[in-house]
Order: sequence, then structure tokens, then C-alpha cells
Amino acid sequence: MADGAISHGFTQNQIAGSNPPPCCYFFPSSFMMANPEAEVIALSPKTLMATNRFLCEICGKGFQRDQNLQLHRRGHNLPWKLKQRTSKEVRKRVYVCPEKSCVHNHPSRALGDLTGIKKHFCRKHGEKKWKCEKCAKRYAVQSDCKAHSKTCGTREYKCDCGTIFSRRDSFITHRAFCDALAEETARVNAASNINNAAAAGNNVNYHVMGASLVPSMPPHLASIFKPVQGNHRIIDSTRPEHTLWMNQEVYTDPIISCSNPPPSDYQLSWVLGNKDASSDAEELASVTGVGSQLVSVPSLFSTQTLNVSHHTPSANMSATALLQKAAQIGATSSDPSFLGSFGVKCSSNQVQDGNKYCGLYGTSSISTGLGSDVESSVNDLSTLNQLQMYPSKRRHIQNEDCTTTGGQTRDFLGVG
Amino acid sequence: MERTFFTPKEARYPNNQSNGHYQLEMQSTNQPQSSHTSTSRSSDSGEPCGDGKWASKLLRECARAITEKDSAKIHHLLWMLNELASPYGDCDQKLASYFLQALFCKATESGQRCFKTLTSVAEKSHSFDSARKLILKFQEVSPWTTFGHVASNGAILEALEGESKLHIIDISDTLCTQWPTLLEALATRNDETPHLKLTVVVTASIVRSVMKEISQRMEKFARLMGVPFEFNVISGLNSLGELTKEALGVLEDEAIAVNCIGALRKIEVEERGDVVRMLRSLHPRVVTVVEEEADFSSFKNDFVKCFEECLRFYTLYFEMLEESFVPTSNERLMLERECSRSMVRVLACEDEKGHDGDCERRERGSQWSERLKEAFSPVGFSDDCVDDVKALLKRYRTGWSHVLTQGDDSSGIYLTWKDEAVVWASAWKP
Repeated sequence: MADGAISHGFTQNQIAGSNPPPCCYFFPSSFMMANPEAEVIALSPKTLMATNRFLCEICGKGFQRDQNLQLHRRGHNLPWKLKQRTSKEVRKRVYVCPEKSCVHNHPSRALGDLTGIKKHFCRKHGEKKWKCEKCAKRYAVQSDCKAHSKTCGTREYKCDCGTIFSRRDSFITHRAFCDALAEETARVNAASNINNAAAAGNNVNYHVMGASLVPSMPPHLASIFKPVQGNHRIIDSTRPEHTLWMNQEVYTDPIISCSNPPPSDYQLSWVLGNKDASSDAEELASVTGVGSQLVSVPSLFSTQTLNVSHHTPSANMSATALLQKAAQIGATSSDPSFLGSFGVKCSSNQVQDGNKYCGLYGTSSISTGLGSDVESSVNDLSTLNQLQMYPSKRRHIQNEDCTTTGGQTRDFLGVG
Repeated sequence: MERTFFTPKEARYPNNQSNGHYQLEMQSTNQPQSSHTSTSRSSDSGEPCGDGKWASKLLRECARAITEKDSAKIHHLLWMLNELASPYGDCDQKLASYFLQALFCKATESGQRCFKTLTSVAEKSHSFDSARKLILKFQEVSPWTTFGHVASNGAILEALEGESKLHIIDISDTLCTQWPTLLEALATRNDETPHLKLTVVVTASIVRSVMKEISQRMEKFARLMGVPFEFNVISGLNSLGELTKEALGVLEDEAIAVNCIGALRKIEVEERGDVVRMLRSLHPRVVTVVEEEADFSSFKNDFVKCFEECLRFYTLYFEMLEESFVPTSNERLMLERECSRSMVRVLACEDEKGHDGDCERRERGSQWSERLKEAFSPVGFSDDCVDDVKALLKRYRTGWSHVLTQGDDSSGIYLTWKDEAVVWASAWKP
């Protein structure tokens, strides 16, 4: 163990008696349940923050790993030795966060990856030393900053009203005064009897698409993805919707890149549109069947690989509006939000996806915008009937707390 | 990092260039971010907004004639200007048109009446939608206002870091466009989102009528952001000097920030010291001051000099507007009309007590600093804040840059347009 590290020496078994927090299972540390023998390591802050601990005695160059140092020492014609992996099974190590108030301080919430705990510590408890040149956004972890810089300025922000912004600050300012905001709140108030979930009225209007900045996301994250489910998690009341702008933070959170791979039979992509859906989004956004009831942002993520959120580029209708529509239509679906997620329409080029669900909308969706599908659904009861198939699948989805990432399975507000 | 040394003194008085413009003396290690090295201002190039070749000459002569009370000359020049001017033409024609109005009022001593008329016309055509559209469009094409917002928000967030009950007193006519980004920062930056109380003190009568709508929007937005929020508006004051701690609803357990955007110039010159003291009595953690860089108060009694300065400043402003907006922009027209009211107010109206916040006598950053130093000490903008400003300016067209000040004379940052300082932003603490 490097200096400064403290190995507790006790194993998971010793704390096996304690009940892990219920949301534990979708953390990477969930493997702990399968690894009760794992050794819990508590490194000191100094060690965690140290980047180049292994120093060459000749030239003083620092390296992150001992192997790198050894290879470097060859250049000085020094004796070197690469450590061989010991023949006996190496005990799995898990790492806790040294910050006492942190959730990951407890061994049951330890992270399995050294890099992961380092990044967590930096992000959550460290100083934000790295800064994006273009927008001055600050990050504690350099790789986060680099990842952000790649897409900074390339993304566009779309307001409910259809206006597109390339600058975040002007988007935010516009949003605050946009009529779409005012209308939506009015609708939410009217529809509040439909949504009697714990989510406050406004929570439903989420245009949220991103995870919150703060790495302690997961419980909150889960709630975002299930805005109208009864079984959703408690929403963090202090920050329910700010995630509107959080798209930029999406890939900074390791937890968000859910460890669950999308089920291969999950044909959610019909809901979500395809990878180059940004054009779809625009096209759809411009033809709003429901006036200002557009969910913003979705198009933003189309270029993200780590997109946690969901939003299908074409999911331009807010959950509230869809629910209302569903109620009007008298959908028999037991899961109105599920229906809502179908409001998205597949544009014609998605038909080629081979996605079987796309076919549902394929013919009728070509020229109309997002909203029109739901609006015209009165005429399209057959479509609705077909939709009844989905609820079961949907419920299956709901049980997974993690949203899937990747272009295929973008989520729309709760469709797992 | 670029540190540019700017000595404000040199910029105080126009030098002897024929067109009355002046340049900042800057020694910088790097070029300022703008790609314009000095575009020659006295050339006769066919630049879109020219450099005031004929308009400025005629206008200056007219101003002189008025001082000399040479009525024949005055009539002649007014007639010429009237022939050539148009509020829909190029920069020269526009400047000629609006300054003509001010000079005419001065010559005929009808400034007060004209100002009232112009103001009431503007109020009638003013609505929430038009005001919102105007200010947001302006912010989109030019950093003139957003510069001050970004700098101030940065200073406020830093000064109030860690506090859980914030009270921001916003003395401005920005229609709260500064606050959405601050609300977002509060919601996302901190682990514990603090409670924010925002008290807006409105000075312009035009703004008053839309504050109700604004307050609804702000409350909704704060809810969306998840920031506990309270909003109050104070209007109907005759002068800012009337503000008191009680009137503002300042409570003991609050961390106060006072945000003055274009507010200090609205105070009658003689009362400015009192208002600074009043602000001090609120025990704020930080006071942010943003003002346009012009001196309309030193030469109150010297009409020609005052006129020169007005001409210089508004020429710059009109040129900036012309380059920022599309030619057919209605918003630009409205902003120009706003200027025309200020021109009449400064040049043709006597300062009287009891005017409700329509004084337009700007002062330069260095002058404001003198006043503020009586009760406050300057707080430098942090590197992070300056970076934010830099990032902001990058998002606009070229021509914009910033200059940090050093030295005792003043403190803060200047926004520069083609190397001329146009807006000054600063932060102060007791």
C-alpha cells in the first residue's frame, strides 16, 4: 500500500449485518453484494489527490503507476522490475471516500475502482481547478473538463417555444421570460390532479435531461427518470429541475453511465429516434401540435454517447401535455406516462431502423410534428391499441433504475 | 493572463483629434481579444457609420452658437441639420437627428416639455412583450449589458458564498435579466441551495408598469430551478436617497448584496454622496456597480464641453448598435430613441430636485470610485470571474474586449468596444 493509505483490514463480511441502503444496488459498488470478501481500503485525501506518486530517483519525473515508472527507469539503465501478478488470487479491493460526511465513506458504499474513488473525491470534495476555455465552466477532474471541451459550443439549446440558442446563458435568460414557461406552469396547475405523484407540479415540466452536476446523483437521477411513477424516488426538493441545463454534466458522473447494458430486446429506439435525430428534433419542434408544449433539450443529447438522459430527440412534448392528451383520449393504458412516451414520433427515416415499433408510426408520421401524433390519435385508435402491448414492457423497464446510455436507447422522461 | 494597465486619467478629457475622440492608453502584453487595431477614426473612409464627418462638425458648431447666443447662426445650423438628418438613415443622419432635437430644445428652452412628451410616448408603446423582446435581443447581439451582469453575478456569488439566506437589492432597469443565470448558478453550484430574496428598486417609470409580469416570471423560474425565492418590487420613489433599510425589508440574518446597474447616474448629482452613505448603512457584503463610461456631470455648467462628451459617447454607442443589429432592426430603433430622451434630459433640462430617477448624468468609473471610496473599499474581481467575462465576450462578434484596472484611481473592469472603454463594472465592500 502506498504511504498514506490505511487498510481497514476488515472485510465486507463484518458489515454484512448492516442493511445496505436500498438504492445501493445500482451503484457500481453493487458488486459488493457479490463480493463480500472484498477488502475495504481507505486512502487518505492526500493519496487520492496525488497524481504522480511514483517518482524516478534520477530525474524526478512522476508517474501514476509503478509500471510506468519501471519502464521509465529502463531509460536510465537502472535495474527495473515489473511486478508480476501474484499467483494466488488477489483479493478484490474496494475504496471508501475519506470525507466523513460523504455517502461513500461507508464501506457498504465503497467504490470498486481506484480511479473511480479518486475522481469522486475530486469532483465532490475537491477544488475545481480545470476550466473550459470557451465557457469558463469549472471542473475538478481534468478528464471531465476535456470531455466537456469537446462538445462545448457544439450543442444547441432549444426552448419550448422552438427558439434555438447556441449560448447557454442566453438560453437560460430567454427561458426565464419565455411564454412557454408561463403557459406550462398554468397547465401543470390544471393538470395537477392527474399527476398526484410526489413530484411537485413543476417537477413534471422537466426538460430535464441531464443529471445534476453533483455526483451524488443517483437517487435524484432515478427520480428524474420516473417523473410520474408512483414508485419513484424522493425527489431532492432543492433541485428538482435545474437539471434542465445539466446536459453538460451528463458525462461527468460515472454513476450515470449505468452499468446495465441496454437489453437487446428493448426496442426503445422507436421512441427515441435515431442517432442523427437532431434534424428530426428541429423538424419536429417546428411543427408543434401542441403549441408551446415542447420539451426542450432533447436534441441536445443526440450527439452524446454518454447520454444518460433521455430525451429522445423527438420527444418534444412535455410529460404534462401528453398526460392531458392521454386523459382526453381516454387511453386505457394503465400507465399514462408510458403512453406519453409514445408521443414521440418516429420520423420517416427511422422506419429504416428496422425498429419494429417505428413501423407503428411510420406511415402517419412523416410530415407531421411531434404533437400531432397524439393529437390525431383520436383518429388513430388502432395505434393506441397497439400501444397497449407496451405497458408490460414498460413496467419491466421501470424496475431498472439505471437508464441506459448510448444512442440506441435514449430515454424519455421515465421510460427506462 | 492579460493584465492591461489602464490609467483612467488620460482618458478623462478628449484630446485634440479633430473629431474629438480619444483613445485609451494601453500597454498590454497580449493584444486585447478584439481583432481591431485602431481603425482610424479621422479618415474619410466610407465606413458604414463613418466617424461623424459632417454631423459632428455641424452639431458642434451649433452647440457653440447656442452658447454664444448667436441666433442667426443657430437658425442656420438647425436648418441645415434638419435638412440632412434622419432617424432612419446612417449613423451620421441619426446622430444629427437626435442631437438636433436636443439642441433645438436647448435653444428654445423647451427641454422639460419635450422630455415629458417623449417619455409618455414611450410609455404608451411599452409593454412587457416589447420590453422583453428589446432587452433580450440587445443582450443577444451585444455584451453591453451582459458584461455587467456576468461581472456582478460573479462578485455576488463569491461574496455570498456559504450563506444560506441571501438578499439581493437590485437597483436597476434591467427587468431582472441578470438573475436567471444567477439563480441557475445558485441551484447548481452549491450543495445547499440558499434562500434568495430579491428586492428590485425600479427607477424608470417605463419599467414600473411591467414589473408585475416580471415578478411572476421570476417566481416561476425560481421554482423551476428549485431555489427558494422571494421577490419584492419598490417603485414610486422620487429619489434613491429615500430608500431606507426598513423600506427595503432588510433583515438581520440576511447576507445583503446591493446591485447597481446604471443606477447611480439616475441620482441627482448633489445627492450621490448621500445615497452612497445610505447603501453603506445597509451593511452589505458586496456592492456591485456598473455604469457606462462617460462624463456628463463634470461640465454641467460648460455646455460645449458637456456636448462634446455627449457626442463622443453617443457616437460610439450608435456605431456599436449599427454594427450589432441587423439594419432593419426595430429594437435598435427603440434603443436609439431611448438615447434621444437621455440626450434631451442631459443637454436641455435643468436639474431639479424631485425628478423621479430620470437624471442621466453619467460619470466615469474613476469618478464613481472616488465617491464610493468614501464608504467602501474595492474588491477585485477574481480570476474565475474575469474568465467568465472573457468567455462571455468570446461569444459575441469581434470588437469587444475587456481591460482590468490597476492602481489607486479606480478599480474594476472596463468593457471596451474597438479599444474604447464603454462600460465599467466594479465591486465594493464596506
